[in-house]
Amino acid sequence: MNEPRPLSLLCELTYRCNLQCPYCYNPLKLATYGDELDGPTWRRVIAQASELGVLQVHLSGGEPTLRTQEALGIVKTASQRGMYTNLITQGTFLDDPLLDAFTDAGLDHIQISIQAPQAALADHIAGAAVHEKKLGAIERVLSREVALTLNCVLHRANHDLIADVIGFAERVGVRRLELANVQFYGWALENRAWLMPTREQVRRGESVVRQARERLAGRMEITYVLPDYFADLPKPCMHGWGNKFLTVAPNGTVLPCPAAAAITSLHFENVRERSLSDIWRFSQAFTAYRGTAWMPEPCRSCERREIDFGGCRCQAFLLLGDASRTDPACSKSPDHHVVVAALEKAQPSEFVPRRMTLTNA
Amino acid sequence: MNAAVQFAQGVRLRCEGEDAAFLLVPEGVVELSPTARAILELVNGERTVNDIAKALSDLYDAPPGEIADDVTGICDGLRQRGFLQS
Repeated sequence: MNEPRPLSLLCELTYRCNLQCPYCYNPLKLATYGDELDGPTWRRVIAQASELGVLQVHLSGGEPTLRTQEALGIVKTASQRGMYTNLITQGTFLDDPLLDAFTDAGLDHIQISIQAPQAALADHIAGAAVHEKKLGAIERVLSREVALTLNCVLHRANHDLIADVIGFAERVGVRRLELANVQFYGWALENRAWLMPTREQVRRGESVVRQARERLAGRMEITYVLPDYFADLPKPCMHGWGNKFLTVAPNGTVLPCPAAAAITSLHFENVRERSLSDIWRFSQAFTAYRGTAWMPEPCRSCERREIDFGGCRCQAFLLLGDASRTDPACSKSPDHHVVVAALEKAQPSEFVPRRMTLTNA
Repeated sequence: MNAAVQFAQGVRLRCEGEDAAFLLVPEGVVELSPTARAILELVNGERTVNDIAKALSDLYDAPPGEIADDVTGICDGLRQRGFLQS
């Protein structure tokens, strides 16, 4: 088949972060990504992405503002090429000079995440006293000509506080709010039993969001990302493997999805050794699950095969050990019981904080 | 219907030649149909939905009623997703 055109590129500048959120999707082996790409290489990656047709560049990590100069260089290069730039940050370093530098470079949008609507719980989840700093950053962004989305990852410990998160967003004057149920990759999978919301929480959450959307129509846009373990159908992960999305990890590894490094049966190539275009078009990792020919049953004959693309390859690998199986989140998967069993697991009293230690290197 | 339509903050239209057009929004890239593109190319913060329908009806020599339904439908959909404001 003809290779499709990538539209979005996620640049993971570093996996370092001053927070320790247990729901982070980053790989457990954080310390093995220490050999981070330099500024000129990132700018070359942006130029190659633009030539491939990419229109949007997301900067993330880890915490991308820990690499200020490289992040600014990416935004500037991308903006000059007419690409849309989005900074995904936890906001603790966003002071006035840094914000000015990003807006001068042409940044289109900032996403700031909070852990909870109150400092005590938020700081416990983050593993650091940062909630108040984030408030300052949110206010500084709102006073400027750059779009803002407030994000809160939902899990069992904050799911009952959705109304308070919405109230918080309303008070500070945010126009876009993303309430994203945790997805179980990396550290989040490690902490799955602690994070997993109950069915009752999910049901109530949907109803709170529905009412808030009606009340705030025209004033605030609320996105609610369903937890896929609770859905009957899998998420259309990345809109298809190697179809619209590229991720470049801190060390230059190119991934079809930010969680894909966990799939040890694939070999992922690096922008230091091969062009982004060649990796996108020809590499084994990108072609492995592109299109529909790789699909097993029940995907192969499913009417939704080009709607949800068989779900998530990473989830199939992480839960079943085989990335080519149907995503077990799908109720038609013969392995769906694996997901159902995870919903019933007892909750441990504490989580494992995300840390960069040599023991997980 | 009588308020001027504009792109929400952080939303941009990107056209490539005659064939392709995209709406660049905070969470992603939306591929646009030729009809959506024709409508959004007329969004300038001054025209109302009615103005856009009238302009398109003149441009394509098409019945104003039919065009107005398309324009209203597409603009409402994009407004509900937070991409347009009026």
